[in-house]
Amino acid sequence: MSLELKNVSKTFGKKKVVNDISFHLDKPGVFGLLGTNGAGKTTTIRMILGILTKDCGTIKWNGLEVDRKNVNFGYLPEERGIYPKIKIYDQLLYFATLKGMQKDDAKKSIEKWAKRLKVEEYLPMTAEKLSKGNQQKIQFMTAIIHNPSLIVLDEPFSGLDPVNTDILKNIIIDLVKDGKYVIMSAHQMPTIEEFCTDILILDKGNTVLQGNLKDIKNSYVANRLQLNVDRDITSIIEELNLEIEIEKNNEYTIKINNEEEANKVLKKIMDKKISISKFEIMKPTLNDIFIEKVGK
Amino acid sequence: MKDIITVTKFAINDMIKRKSFIISTIIILILIVVGFNIPNLINSLDSESYKQNITIVDKDNVFENNLELLKDLELNYNLNIENKDLDELKEEISSKKIDGALIVENNNGNINLNYIILDMSLFYEAPEDLVETLNTLYHNIQLNKLSLTEEELALISTNLNFTVEPIKDEASGNILVVMMLSVVLFMAIYFCAYQVSSSITIEKTSKIIETLVTSTSPRNIIVGKTLGIGLVGLAQMLIVVITAIISANLFLDKELLSLILDVSNFNLFLLIMIIIYFISGYFIYALLYALTGSTVSKPEDIQSANIPISILVIIGFYLSYLTMMNPNSNLNFFAAIFPLSSPFCMPFRVMMGVASVKEIILSLVIIVITIILIAKVAIKIYSNAILNYGTKLSIKELINMYKSK
Repeated sequence: MSLELKNVSKTFGKKKVVNDISFHLDKPGVFGLLGTNGAGKTTTIRMILGILTKDCGTIKWNGLEVDRKNVNFGYLPEERGIYPKIKIYDQLLYFATLKGMQKDDAKKSIEKWAKRLKVEEYLPMTAEKLSKGNQQKIQFMTAIIHNPSLIVLDEPFSGLDPVNTDILKNIIIDLVKDGKYVIMSAHQMPTIEEFCTDILILDKGNTVLQGNLKDIKNSYVANRLQLNVDRDITSIIEELNLEIEIEKNNEYTIKINNEEEANKVLKKIMDKKISISKFEIMKPTLNDIFIEKVGK
Repeated sequence: MKDIITVTKFAINDMIKRKSFIISTIIILILIVVGFNIPNLINSLDSESYKQNITIVDKDNVFENNLELLKDLELNYNLNIENKDLDELKEEISSKKIDGALIVENNNGNINLNYIILDMSLFYEAPEDLVETLNTLYHNIQLNKLSLTEEELALISTNLNFTVEPIKDEASGNILVVMMLSVVLFMAIYFCAYQVSSSITIEKTSKIIETLVTSTSPRNIIVGKTLGIGLVGLAQMLIVVITAIISANLFLDKELLSLILDVSNFNLFLLIMIIIYFISGYFIYALLYALTGSTVSKPEDIQSANIPISILVIIGFYLSYLTMMNPNSNLNFFAAIFPLSSPFCMPFRVMMGVASVKEIILSLVIIVITIILIAKVAIKIYSNAILNYGTKLSIKELINMYKSK
C-alpha cells in the first residue's frame, strides 16, 4: 500500500494556500505534517480526503484517486464535533455503519475501543454532557472504529490532558504496529519527534523541509552542549569564546558550532579536576529546526 | 443506496426522539380532540346556563288571556305573566329579582312591546325569540277571529321555498373540507421542510459535518435526511388526520358532522393524490431549506436565511388558497400547474372534480423536473458551503459556489 501526492496546489480566491506539494508514504508509519497556523496543513488534509477539490496535481492511494469508494480511511478533523443531543453509542454506530461496517461488527468495535479509551461509561449519554476531552476521545473513536488503512489526524492531541494524551499516543503506536498509515498534523514538536518517521514542514503553503526525520536531524551538526558540574565554570566557557544559553545551579547549556568545541570544554574542565555529572553533545531538536525554517 | 437508508434511519430516530417533536405532536393531538369537543362543551354549558326571569305585563289584554300558553312552550326563560305597574317592575329589576319586563301596550291599534332592562349593557340579551313567539301568537289569535277555512289558512301560511341550481355542476365537494385539508397540508409541508434546514445547521454548528462528509457523499446526506424527516412528517400528518377523523366521529353530532364535513368526494385516488402532492411539495421546500440551512453556521442566522423560502411557501399556499373559491378560474389552473403552489392546489382540484388527467400529468412532470433541478443546486451548494464556518453566505457567494468545480 502507498499514498502519493504529486504537485498538488490549491488556491482560494487570489491566495495560493498550498503550492506544489509532493510526498510519498510507502510503508506503515506516522507522517508528520507541520507548519504554523494557516500554513496549509488542514487544506492539504482536506484535499487528500477529497473534501476539497485540488486545483492541480495527483493524490493516489495504491494508484487510485483517493475518495470514499477507493480508500478505507479514518479522519479526525481539526474542527471537533459530535451531535450534542444524540447518544454517543448511537452516533458511533451511525458512523461505523456509514463506513460500511455490519451492525454486529460495529457494536464489537465500539465496545473494544470504548474500553481502550476509557469511555465505556459515557456510551449511553448524550454528547452535551461530556467534557471537551472526552468528546475528543469519542471523535477519535469515529476515526478508527471501522479499522481503516489510512488514518488522518488533524491536531489529535490539542486540548487533551497528559493522561489522555498518553492513551492516544499508545493507540497510535499500536495502529502503526498493526500496519496502518497515519498522517498527523500537530503543533507539539516532541510528540512529532516521538512518532513520526517522515515529516513535511509547510510555510505559507510552500514546502520548506521534508524527508525522513532521522536523516534530517543527522544532517544537522551538534549545536548545544549540556553540562552539569559541581562549581561555577563561567570563566572557563568565556575563555573558550563560547556562549552560555542557560545556566541554573551549575547546570549549563552551551551553544557550540561543532563537536570539537565540546571536547575542548571537556578537556579544560578535566584539567581543573572539576567533577562532571552530565556531559551531552546535542543535535538540534525538531522544535529548533521548525523555528529555523518557519520562524524567521 | 445503503448509505441513504442509514442516513434516513438516523434522521427518523433523531426526529422522533426530539422532545420538541414529541411535545408539539401531543399538543396538536390534544388541540384536535379538544377542538372537536367544543360543540359538546358549548351545549353542556348552554343547558346548564342561567334562564332569564322575565315578567310580561299585558294591561290592555292584547293577547286575550292567551299568554299562559307560552309556559307550555320550551322557551329558555322563566316567564311571569303579571299585572304590575311600572314602578314596581323597575324596583324588581333594580333589586335583580327579575332580569327584565316586557310591557305589551295597545296604542290605538299599534301593538308595542316595551322591554325594560337595568342598562344597555344587557341589550345583547334581549329575548328576540320570545318576541318572535309573541308575534306568532298574536298573528294566530287574529287569524282565529277571521273564521277561515283550512284551505284559506293553508294558503296564508304557505312558505316560499328557496333553492339554488347551478348550470355548471363540475365543481362539487365541500369547500370547508378542501380548505381545512389545504391548511393541514401546508402546515405539514412547511414544518417538516423547515426541520431539514435546522437539522443541517445543527450539523454545521456542532462541527460534525466534516466527519459526516468523509463518511458518505453530500448527496446521500441530503437525500437521506430529507427522506427521513419527510417520512416522520408524513406519519405525523396521518396521525393528525386519523385523530381528527376519529374525534369527529366520536365527539361531533352526526348531523352536524355531515353538514360540516361532506367527505362524499373522498376516494382512494384522491388519497393517493394528496400523498403524492404532500411528498412532492415537501421535497421542493425541504431541498430549498437544505440549501439555506447549509449557508449558515450559527443557529441564530437560520431564521433570516430561511425567510426567502418561507415567503415562497406562503406565496405558493395563498395562491392556491385564495383561488380555491373559484376553481374554474385561470389563476386556480395556474396555481395547480406552478410547482410552488401545485402541492397545495392540485389535490383539491381533484377533490372538486375540476382537474383533468392531462392537467395532473403536466403538473406532476413540472414538479418532478423542479425537484431534480432544486436537488442538483442544493447538493452542489451544500457540498461547497458546508465547510464555511464564517458569516452567512451572500447570494453572490452562493452563485460562485454553484459555478465552482
